[in-house]
This record gives sequence, structure tokens and C-alpha cells, in this order.
Amino acid sequence: MFFALDDEQRAFGAAVRGYLAERFDLAAVRAVVEHPGGDGHPATLWKAMAEQGWLAVRVPEQHDGLGQGMVTAQVVARELGAGVVPGPWAATVLAGEAVLLAGSSQQQAELLPQLAAGELVATVALRGPCARYSLGGVAVRVGSHGRLTGVAAPVEYPSVAARVVVAARSADGGEYGLYLVDPAAPGVWVRELACYDGTTRLGELTLSDVAAVRLETSGSPAVAALLDRAAVLTAADLVGVAREALTRTVDYDRTRMQFGVPVGSFQALKHALADLHVGVRMAEHAVLYAAHALDAGLADAPLAVSVAKAKASDVALQVTGAMIQYLGGIGYSWEHEAHFFYKRAKREAGLYGSGDEHRERLAALTIDS
Amino acid sequence: MDLSHTPEEERFRGELRDWLAGHVPQQWHRPGFWASLDEDEAFRIRREWEREKALTGFAGIAWPKEYGGRGGTPGMKAVYDEEMVKAHAPATVNPVGLTFLAPTVMAVGTEAQKREIIGPLLRNEVIWCQGFSEPGAGSDLAAVSTRAVRDGDEFVVNGQKVWTTNAVHGDKIFALVRTEPGASRHRGLSLLFIDMHQPGVQARPLRQMSGASEFGEVFFTDARAPVTDCLGEPGQGWDVAMLLLSFERGASGVAQYTEFRRSYDEIVSVLRRLGRAGDPVARQRLARVLVELECLRYHSMHVLTEVEQGRDLGFEASLSKLQWSETMQDMWEAFDDALGPEAVLAAPTPDLDLTSMQRAAMWSRSVTIWGGSSQVQRNVVAERLLGLPR
Repeated sequence: MFFALDDEQRAFGAAVRGYLAERFDLAAVRAVVEHPGGDGHPATLWKAMAEQGWLAVRVPEQHDGLGQGMVTAQVVARELGAGVVPGPWAATVLAGEAVLLAGSSQQQAELLPQLAAGELVATVALRGPCARYSLGGVAVRVGSHGRLTGVAAPVEYPSVAARVVVAARSADGGEYGLYLVDPAAPGVWVRELACYDGTTRLGELTLSDVAAVRLETSGSPAVAALLDRAAVLTAADLVGVAREALTRTVDYDRTRMQFGVPVGSFQALKHALADLHVGVRMAEHAVLYAAHALDAGLADAPLAVSVAKAKASDVALQVTGAMIQYLGGIGYSWEHEAHFFYKRAKREAGLYGSGDEHRERLAALTIDS
Repeated sequence: MDLSHTPEEERFRGELRDWLAGHVPQQWHRPGFWASLDEDEAFRIRREWEREKALTGFAGIAWPKEYGGRGGTPGMKAVYDEEMVKAHAPATVNPVGLTFLAPTVMAVGTEAQKREIIGPLLRNEVIWCQGFSEPGAGSDLAAVSTRAVRDGDEFVVNGQKVWTTNAVHGDKIFALVRTEPGASRHRGLSLLFIDMHQPGVQARPLRQMSGASEFGEVFFTDARAPVTDCLGEPGQGWDVAMLLLSFERGASGVAQYTEFRRSYDEIVSVLRRLGRAGDPVARQRLARVLVELECLRYHSMHVLTEVEQGRDLGFEASLSKLQWSETMQDMWEAFDDALGPEAVLAAPTPDLDLTSMQRAAMWSRSVTIWGGSSQVQRNVVAERLLGLPR
């Protein structure tokens, strides 16, 4: 039994953490947050992500990648969450997952090396506005000659992506597939969506009879598999957010004096923080297990994915809310970074399935069958 | 990541499964079977069954052979825990001896104590009780007032213990007693082995809110114990007790997961029969429980990994206890909530008897108290793991 990261995976995480601490700290995050009109895509950070292999984690070695599993990918996602880091890392990695899942060998050979090297920024558009993250939530249709029409939102970084992987439904509604779209192509309209989480950039993608290339082997299973991988990477980011928010809150409450003692000595806070620590620990386990379940193709992978996303969503919301509360007034201020964590948790809690949605899936898996 | 067990451990699983298949009668699978028997009769059957199992070699799985164990790996112990629950084997009648006393004796006992205690314990020749809590010392364990005064080669013990598991079936009790008058609270304590079959020891059952009597109280009136029957040095009882409690808090996660997951499936089947399985609120509530149960399973893998890597669980045992005990309790609360007004009925429909599930649900109210209440565990997590000030 070895349910833990190996030395190499630990070292990878430490390298990401080390880079962020030195070169992209919360002051750098703030610069992105406070410039909502900007593209939210710092060039130096992207260059570093490419150079240090963060974008190449999942790409097979034959395509110039590191050939790592989802377990290593969640290590990176966790650190990016802990640093509330902006940029299209997750979007680009997920586009790569789509190509891995359903691209022909030619499509893989063309796209994966570019994605691994950071030369191609990409994103995914898997759901219609206000819909569910499931096949039924796809609101793009495939028309004649494989051209796409419909809407997808929210899409991460549509304005900087040079390629979008779009989930679309066949005209008769029976089959789903994944399609590559160039956002600069005729018939594509990107509308930026203002979002209170300043650590990302979101948009709505409207397609009107747009030329698209089908990822050759994609079908409904590939779309479902991509949604699961997206849920796990998002859960990992949430776990990073939660762990960091908890650590910062504990650090503050250890030294903040009121009534002549550190406020962290009060049981009202201690017990709540202890419960949150247990929760974060369990969420860490759940994300690690889900990533491994996908890598190893375990029979309970769908269940594990929903456990991870439900737990990570809940615990990140709880911890980031508690962070504001247990910092007191300063936690509610703009100048403190607590709101970066809180708002990112809010966005990601709903992304690729809220806790409620994943719980309903768990109910279906364990009650109905 | 590697979630598999070794081939040797899997071979062991096969052997154990075969033995259990031939030795667990079909009627024991029935939920509520044990609760339907007279408590003393149930105890006697389980005691004998477990003795036979031990004599076959399926006991003390990861303990050294020289003391009567099987000499297996921690992985084998995890396999054993899982298979026992899966096979509907009865729970041990010697839980405090097996889970808490034995590992503590292995850690700090003398060579003679290891030889005298472990083997008879495994074979159920001696049923052990734990004498920690007192009427005036619950969460504040250091407030124990049971006194042991030295008289030649013996201690003379006076006082009272309470919430003692198996009090009326016990043969010996390891009791936390005050041996050093005048020493400060934590310093003046010793852990003493006391024979319960003597005139100075009286045990009485305690009837619990569930109606059952797993616990009892034990009275000492000039009871005697040899001075050599001390675990650890006299005066070091607090440290030994804390070590012992860490085993209690870190109890086997995989066994608990397997048991609770079975209860979850039972709950689901009851809701189906009552036509409540489609209720969206009940579904959310149960799925919330399932999330915590699965986390408990992952956590047990983490714990086993730590043990196999030679690391001590330490204060993380408090985290484990919070997870399993709070989840168990919440699961049964979810059951009651989903049943609504029917929750309190012994049989909501003539062919659906809920009493054994209700007994388990009542029991779940105790698990967040014994072995250190959830409030005590939260203090430990906050102070020892998070480093918050005392």
C-alpha cells in the first residue's frame, strides 16, 4: 500500500510552490485582480509555466511532454490554487486532455507538442449558459458539413486562446463529440463576462455555422471523461485554495491579540478550525484518490471523481468563508487577500459540477443502482 | 501510488476467507441476530468462537510470533479487519484488550508482561476491562481519584471506575490509579493490572439509553494487586495512558468503512422499501454521508501507508477519530431525517423491523464521547496539529 505522492511528485510540487513564492506572489496576483480590463495572462508567468514543464505534465514523452498521470497534474493544480494564480493553465491542460482522449495520432502529433511548450494557448467550452455540466448541458449543435452553431459559457480565457475544444451534439441529438475551433474564424463571437473572481478571465462563446475539426475518435464517452478530468483538476485547485486559506487563518489567529490573549486560544475558534483541518485533509485524500482512480482506470473512478469534487467544493467554501470571519474586520477589506481565496472558491465550487450536482450523481450511483 | 497488497497478503486473504466461510453460520449474517440473543449468551458464543479462531492462527495478525501473534504485516492486519466485517464475523469480545492494551504492552511492557498478557488475551482466557473514567473524571482524566496505597509487595486499591466496557464479563482490569499522594495531577498516576475475581472488586452493569449494557461500573474496596503488575513505571501512568488512548483513537479505518458502508446500503434499502429513495433532500443528505465514508476509506489507506513507512500516527489519531465517529453519527441522523415520523417506530410496516438499526443509531450517540469526546479531539487537533495556543 502506498497512498501518497512519491518523491518526484513531491519535488515537482515544491518547485511550483517555490517559483510562485519567489516570482509570482500575492502582490503579482493583486496586479491582475486590480486590472480587470487586462487579459489576465501575465506573459512572464506563462513563459515560466512552459519552461518548467507545468504545461507538459500530461503530454506523453513522444510528444515532448513529461508523460505524467493525473496524480502529478493535481499536484500542479493544487499549488496554483494555493497561490490563487491567474492564467490559462487549467484551460490549456484540459484542451490537451481532450486531444489525448480523442485526437487521432496525427492530431496529437500536431497539437500536443505545442500545448506542452506553451506555444499554443487553448481552452475548453463544454456547457451552455446556466446548464448542467453533463452531456445534457451541451448547447452547441453540429450542422451540415460538421459546422457548429450554439453557445457555450462560461469559457476560461476565450480571448487569449488560439484554439477552443468545443463539446457539441449531433443534429439528431444522439451523439456528442469534441471539436477544435479557431476563435478567430468567421462566425465566432466572444463576449467577455465580467466576473468577481479576478484571478481568471471568462467569456461567452457564440458560434454561428462555424468551421470545426472533429477530434477524430471523440464521442459521448470522451466528453464525459473530459468532464471528469476537469472536475478533478478543479477539485485539486480548490483543495489548494482551502489548505492555503486555512494555514493563513491559523497563522493570523495564533498572533492576533484580543482580551489580552491570542484569539486562537479561544475554543470557539479552535474547534471550528480543527473541523476545517479535518475537512481539508479528507478533501486532499479524495482528490489524490480520484486522480489515481482515473490514471489506473479503477472501477469506482466516477464515484471517486464526484466524491472529490463535492468534498473539495464544500470545504473550500467553508474555509474561505471562515477565513474572512476569523480574521475579523481586516478579512472583509479589499486590501487583504482573503477575498482572492473566497472568490476563487466561489467560482470553482460551481465549475464542472457543484457539490449538489455531484452529490446527486453519487445518489444515482449508490441509491438507484 | 500503489493501492494493492502484496501477494503474500493476498494469499493470507484467501486463507482467512476460506476459514471464515466455513465457520460463520448463515444466521449470523442476519442484521439484528446478535441483538436478538440474551446478552450473556451472545457473549459466551462469541468468546468461544473467537478462541477457536485464535487457536487456528487468525489472531494477533501483526504481532510477533514469540508472544502468540501471527507475525504478519500491517497490510495483513488491514486485510484481516476488512475480511472479518465482510464475512459478518462477530465483533471481538475483548476489544479493549486487543486494540488498546496489547499494543501498549508491546510498546512499554516488560518481557514477562508481554509473555503473560498477549497469548491469554488472544485466546480469550482473560477478558480485559479498561478502568479510566470515574464519576469525577471524564474528559478531565487527570482528575482520577481511585487510590492505590502500597502495603508490602502489594497495592491496596479503593475507588470507583465507570463506563467500563465488559465490566460484568471482565477477568482483569487495567486501571489508572493514584499511587503517589502529593504529586501533581498528571504525575501521581500509575497503570495497574487488577484481578477482578476477588472480594474487593465488584462490577455492576450500566443500562444505556439503547437498553443494552455494553458498559458497567467497577467498585474497588481494599482490592489488592502485586506491585509488579504495573504497566510502565509507577508514577508514569499518565504517559502510558496517553499512548494507549492514541491506539484507541486510531482504530482500524478499513473495518469501520466496511461496516458503515454496509449500514449505508441497509439504510438505502429501507428507504427504497418505504418509497423515500427518490426524495431529493434525502438523496443529498445520504450522498453527503457517502462522501465522508469514502473519505474515511481513503484516510485508512493513508494511515496504513504511514504505518508501513514506519511513521507514527501520533496526534493525527484524533483526526481519524473525529472523521469516523462524526460520520457514523451523521449517517444515522440522516437515516432518521429521511424516515421522518416513521423514524421512531419499531416497524413502520409489518414486514420491516428497524430495531437493530435503531440500536446501532443509538450506539452512534456514544462514539463521539468515549475514547475522548469530539470536543477533546478538536482541542488536540487545534493545539497539536495546527499549533494554536492553549
